[in-house]
Amino acid sequence: MNIGVPRGLLYSKYHVFAETFLEEIGAKIVVSPATNKLILDEGVRYCVDDACLPMKVFHGHVSWLKDRCDAMLVPRFIGIKEKEYICPMFCGSIEMVSNNIPQLPCLIDTPICSTQNYKLSQWAKKTGSVLTKDENKIMAALDKALQRHGNSKTGFNDEGYPLKIGLIGHAYNIYDKFINMDLKKKLNGLGIGIITSEYINGADIADEAGKLFKKPFWTFAQEYYGAAVCIIKTKKADGIIYLSSFSCGIDSVVIELIKSETGDFPFMVLKLDEHTGEAGFDTRIEAFADMLKRRCGIGHNLS
Amino acid sequence: MEKNYYLGVDVGSVSTNLVLMDEDYMVCEKLYLKTSGHPVETLKNGLMRMAGRFGSSVKIRATGATGSGRQLAGMLIDADVIKNEITAHAVAASSIEPNVRTIIEIGGQDSKIIFLKEGIVYDFAMNTVCAAGTGSFLDRQASRLDIPIEEFGRYALKAQNPVRIAGRCAVFAESDMIHKQQTGHCSEDIIAGLCEALVRNYLNNLAKGKNIEEPIMFQGGVAANVGIVAAFEKILNKKIIIPRYYDVMGAYGAAILAKEEIERSGKETCFFGFESINDNFDVKSIECKDCSNMCEVIKISSNGELKACWGDRCGKWGALPGKVSIRN
Repeated sequence: MNIGVPRGLLYSKYHVFAETFLEEIGAKIVVSPATNKLILDEGVRYCVDDACLPMKVFHGHVSWLKDRCDAMLVPRFIGIKEKEYICPMFCGSIEMVSNNIPQLPCLIDTPICSTQNYKLSQWAKKTGSVLTKDENKIMAALDKALQRHGNSKTGFNDEGYPLKIGLIGHAYNIYDKFINMDLKKKLNGLGIGIITSEYINGADIADEAGKLFKKPFWTFAQEYYGAAVCIIKTKKADGIIYLSSFSCGIDSVVIELIKSETGDFPFMVLKLDEHTGEAGFDTRIEAFADMLKRRCGIGHNLS
Repeated sequence: MEKNYYLGVDVGSVSTNLVLMDEDYMVCEKLYLKTSGHPVETLKNGLMRMAGRFGSSVKIRATGATGSGRQLAGMLIDADVIKNEITAHAVAASSIEPNVRTIIEIGGQDSKIIFLKEGIVYDFAMNTVCAAGTGSFLDRQASRLDIPIEEFGRYALKAQNPVRIAGRCAVFAESDMIHKQQTGHCSEDIIAGLCEALVRNYLNNLAKGKNIEEPIMFQGGVAANVGIVAAFEKILNKKIIIPRYYDVMGAYGAAILAKEEIERSGKETCFFGFESINDNFDVKSIECKDCSNMCEVIKISSNGELKACWGDRCGKWGALPGKVSIRN
């Protein structure tokens, strides 16, 4: 049985887990290709207009897969940590795709809540039952998937560049080279290395997020805020770029929280939307690079 | 002895500006032309006018390009330096007023705020995708009210009782203006209200939580609008300096950057003279169909010979033989 896995939203974070699990229970996996113009166009066509860009891109991936698989994995993500949540759009993503895109194959949309082991097992049993009745096989697959997931490492921590910036933002913005116009390549080309939140100590992140007057509901908000503040305080990088998609509610809060801690630390927000014109994007990146170079006294003196 | 000059061009969304600067950083000639959607023709026209006035009597030692059309402009004149507008504006402002702390720059589609400390940019902000409060919007409102844009600001100064206009969004601001006009408010009060709304919007968007310190310099085409200047002074309660060449500061900055670049590198300029403008430049846009990215690739050729390509994500077109590297 061919199971489609859309390369959108949390794919970059959890693909090792999902793919290992599906393979171990005997599925043949079809992953949609990296986002491209066709996928974006399809996504924009199907998705409601006021959704964020990553949600539109996700629609595009689902649409690409719909005629290429027998069933599709679109789990309903609820939470990763106890008493924390993720963006509410994820909760409704299944309704969005199933109502917006016609002629979809069977959707494997069992809710997934990885806050406790038994909840994860429930998810595995239900999802696995599509392919096998052998519960032992399913549990073994889950163990292997969790183990591989634990050993996998995402994120960037570039060395050997004269300057370094913390690149903060949702994984689906940072790792989608199409929608972020290959920001990493652009920054590297300007002599700037990148460090992402995965390379900041998790305990330090939690520590900083814990100092807020109220703990944010959202797991990712805590992670990005905490990582940004760690970078500012420890000077792990020369500046921070926050990559945000237009109309993201979580970002709108996190950005303001980070701004209250930046002081004199270079901080810039880059907004992503459907526009593919790179001029405005490049201007901001180049100006930010110039600013860092001058502030750090690198390169020729221009002024 | 033959004098050395530096040429700076700033190809923006609304205007294309050229500055000819001498060794002593003096502006010898400036041109402010409407881009009118044809950057290549406008730039050629500008160069032609420069050539007509100075001809071969001047020696151009270096050239620089800036503005949203900097890659295109840089290609056409083989610029020695291609820089973003933020850096160009900051360099220009601090060469006129070395102590400048804040630069307000409002152009056709962009608005920016730049903060400097000891001549170095230490923070900046640019408007997001929204063009409310920029020159294009003012242009549009002026033509809707049938008032020449040059006169627009002066109307604001004559206002007795500025009305309140919602400045957050250009579309809403326009309907708000129409409502006010239909209820009988005079144009002067509406225009003054609009100026204040735009300034409020600018400060909320770009300068929220930032300390705007003096000296403050106001650059870009909108600085010509005395109504906006007055609104800034009123709301900030601080003095705004308008530099003499406020409308071509980007081009001036590009000329300064060009001078610094050539002095640093010790190289000869790549500029091939005003004559080259007679070359037959051809700009073509194609959609590459080699992969699913379907990039919109720009191909520039001169006299039938391919000179540069950009717009591709994979770098295949950009790396074509004979292509001049123009990315920073």
